[in-house]
Amino acid sequence: MTIKKTHNALIRPNRRLFLQGTAALAGASALAAPSIGRAQSKELYINSWGGPWLEAATENLFNPFTEATGITVNTVSPVSFAKLAAQVRTGVYEFDVTTLGGGDIVAANNAGLLEPIASPYPGGLFQNGVGSHAFATMMAWRTDKGWEETPQSWADFWDVERFPGGRSLQRYPARVLPLALLADGVAMEDLYPLDIDRAFAKLDEIKEHVRVWWTGGAQSTQLLRDGEVDMIGIWHGRYFEAADAGAPVDFTWNQAELDSAYWVVAKETPNMEAAKMFVEFATSAEPLAGFVSQANYGALNPAADEFIPDAAKPRMPTAPGNVETTFTQDMLNWGGDPQEVAMRFDEWLAS
Amino acid sequence: MGLSLSALAERKTLWPWLLLLPLTIYLALFFLVPLIEVGIMSVTEPRPGLGNYEKVLTGSLYRKVFINTFGTALLVTFCCLLVGYPLAYLMSTVSKRAAMGILLLITMSFWTSFLVRTYAWMVLLGNNGPVIWLMTQLGIAEPPPLLFTRFSSTLAMVHILAPYMIMNIYTVMQKIDPSLIRSAESMGAYGKSLFRHVYLPLTAPGIANGSVLVFVICLGFYVTPVLLGSPREQMAAGLIGNQIEQFLAFGLGSAMSIILLVVTLVILGIYHRRFGLDKLYG
Repeated sequence: MTIKKTHNALIRPNRRLFLQGTAALAGASALAAPSIGRAQSKELYINSWGGPWLEAATENLFNPFTEATGITVNTVSPVSFAKLAAQVRTGVYEFDVTTLGGGDIVAANNAGLLEPIASPYPGGLFQNGVGSHAFATMMAWRTDKGWEETPQSWADFWDVERFPGGRSLQRYPARVLPLALLADGVAMEDLYPLDIDRAFAKLDEIKEHVRVWWTGGAQSTQLLRDGEVDMIGIWHGRYFEAADAGAPVDFTWNQAELDSAYWVVAKETPNMEAAKMFVEFATSAEPLAGFVSQANYGALNPAADEFIPDAAKPRMPTAPGNVETTFTQDMLNWGGDPQEVAMRFDEWLAS
Repeated sequence: MGLSLSALAERKTLWPWLLLLPLTIYLALFFLVPLIEVGIMSVTEPRPGLGNYEKVLTGSLYRKVFINTFGTALLVTFCCLLVGYPLAYLMSTVSKRAAMGILLLITMSFWTSFLVRTYAWMVLLGNNGPVIWLMTQLGIAEPPPLLFTRFSSTLAMVHILAPYMIMNIYTVMQKIDPSLIRSAESMGAYGKSLFRHVYLPLTAPGIANGSVLVFVICLGFYVTPVLLGSPREQMAAGLIGNQIEQFLAFGLGSAMSIILLVVTLVILGIYHRRFGLDKLYG
């Protein structure tokens, strides 16, 4: 086993340490591993999502990388966008490499948090991140509700008369607003730039039925698996987790929202060379194919396709037969300042 | 002679301070310095000035969340008192051994982590949980949703915080001289009047101590309301976390933290003038 125990390297009395108390309370406890003396290049610190992601990444990315280069990979939890910003500002690095979604990577790059990187494969670069894999936010529901019809679209998600029951969506407006517009009848190809006001008006309709705005992947699985809500907008990997646990659930790829995850290197990290090596390795054909096959993601590097077994494809949002009815998130033509809209969303939520 | 004696006394009084030195250094390094930096950040990021405070104090969202935070803390404190007072009384009347047994049961919940206790409530109150099941068995066709409401988050917070209340009140009750009660009875005070005029005032310090502790801890609650509460009822800590994690608004989050801290200190100050903070520890 080359992966060392996950630790939270909160060490020096810097200001972020105090601020992260809340995050630490939510996730972790151990205080360990001084950053002093970890500037050697034989170790790499990677921000981890935990769960099935970590299993797939350990087996297909971290271990093979260590074998190939002799660089040990350590993981740091939880994934924190704020920590990425904090460490660039303070110069105290807990992790060298992390993954960001389409929404956060634009904000991170604008804030100068990302190290410029060369694209390891054609078309792989976006906002100083290297495209790794696609994941979907899709509609899933309980099959034990006695509904006469099967939900087909986000319009059905909004239809509490035909499909009565509790709802749940992610507390993340960049992903939720497009879904509201689809429910309001906007065609997938006409979504962007988003009509923000119209989206909020549509959200008003469903608000009282959304019992939980989930904030963590594991939480969304639990909500669906235990039947706390009857219909949910959920990441596809998290849906399959609930389905594999034997819960009476079903889903559709129709109008699923594709988002991409990008590997990024923290600006000016002392382990820059190893970090860039890792990003190149993790997005190269074979390791990426192994990773996405195990974790059901869609590979963004087309070269990975030939290494992906057919058996893995039905669960991949980007596979032929699935991808046709999906749409892709467009953060560059989003329709507003995502941060401002997120603030408005928070206010809307509390009102 | 007198001189050397006072020198000795002086040296004696210095000792406790020396013993406190490691703790003082620790607190200064790991608590005070970061706290001061939070204060600095609140007036410097993203630009110098009081803009962050203005935003927090005038923004409707922030006001709502702060009001909700204090409202929830008050409610939880009140519920803890309601549950804790009779239990503490019971403990003070039964045998030492029985009291220890009850105390053990109460403190046992401290052995389990916050998160586990919070999830335990999710299981208990969930749609497929025992409480809803019991309700349907009792003939309630459509039981009201229990989870993700103010009810569920309050219940869980009371469960987590009640031990603080109970132990504070119990400590005070235990010290009440039984002869005081007997003499009150001999003067004709029974039942309600005995409780109101003698027992309640005697236990007031315990009530005050417990309430302040529960209230202050509750103000900073994060995980429990986020996981169990209704989306409309946000607590300040959750909002602060959100500002920083989602928006990288370090300045705004800092300003909110400082305001929460100042209000808490004001409450503690009022308490101190009324009862004396030293009572919290004994």
